[in-house]
Amino acid sequence: MKTRVFVTLKPSVFDPQGRTIVEALQSMGYGSVRDVRQGKYFELDVAAESADAARSVASEVADKLLANPVIESYRIEVDGDDGS
Amino acid sequence: MKFAVIEFPGSNCDHDAYHATKHVLGQQAEFVWHKETDLRGADVVVLPGGFSYGDYLRTGAIARFSPVMACVCEFAHAGGPVIGICNGFQVLLEVGLLEGALLRNNRLKFLCEHIHVRVEQTDTPFTSGAVAGQVLTLPIAHGEGNFHASPETLVALEANRQVVFRYCAADGAQTDAANPNGSAHAIAGVCNVERNVVGLMPHPERACESMLGSADGRVVLESVINTFASAGAA
Repeated sequence: MKTRVFVTLKPSVFDPQGRTIVEALQSMGYGSVRDVRQGKYFELDVAAESADAARSVASEVADKLLANPVIESYRIEVDGDDGS
Repeated sequence: MKFAVIEFPGSNCDHDAYHATKHVLGQQAEFVWHKETDLRGADVVVLPGGFSYGDYLRTGAIARFSPVMACVCEFAHAGGPVIGICNGFQVLLEVGLLEGALLRNNRLKFLCEHIHVRVEQTDTPFTSGAVAGQVLTLPIAHGEGNFHASPETLVALEANRQVVFRYCAADGAQTDAANPNGSAHAIAGVCNVERNVVGLMPHPERACESMLGSADGRVVLESVINTFASAGAA
């Protein structure tokens, strides 16, 4: 089951890469882009019976490996699951 | 005493640590491959600098799951002295032996230069031979050395006197200009609450011979040797 994990720096953590990107965009004339936060995107193919089961696995691996809870948070999407 | 120098795929300061401990300081030293599950009777563990697993995902994030890390954690929890240098510091943070995280340098540049750090605490096995406030000239070589922790953790690190090294100017003054990477509280190195595990971004093992530009790093390795010798004599 296709499962997507989005890892981003917590809002309280300074993102120098995002800052550099937004400054580049503004110098290119995109003044309407007020902020950029760079993150990581993972596509997991999980052998699972249900979206809930896939979400549970993704959440576990995000906690253990994909994200560092000191500086990052994450969000999960599973195909066929509206996330509710 | 015997040093175990842990080697991960991508470690590149393992030979520096081996050279400094064995050839400069005349101690026993052994490389321990990350797949091993035995520290071979080592008295102190060095997690060296480099780019373990190519820094994939996050620095140190994959190395922390190497089989040898279970032994390192067990050794640390039993009170054994462990030092993590640069990438080794990043591994110690990822595995949870130390608190905090290291972000990209605030100006995004990989920094390779000599800097100054002030020894803030002398009651760790790696700083016992230093004088509080002593300024060391040490090399740094990192892209991700910007120390970060939550405000609560920073308060606790300061209150527990866990900040062992702080970036400073040559005269020991703490200035923004002397903080090379944007580290919170100018933190260059910390220890755990029990004080036997120390991690730092600068490279003391590369500063043990004056012909290399500085011998100020010797005090870090000599401290642990003398700590061990005096414990053995007691």
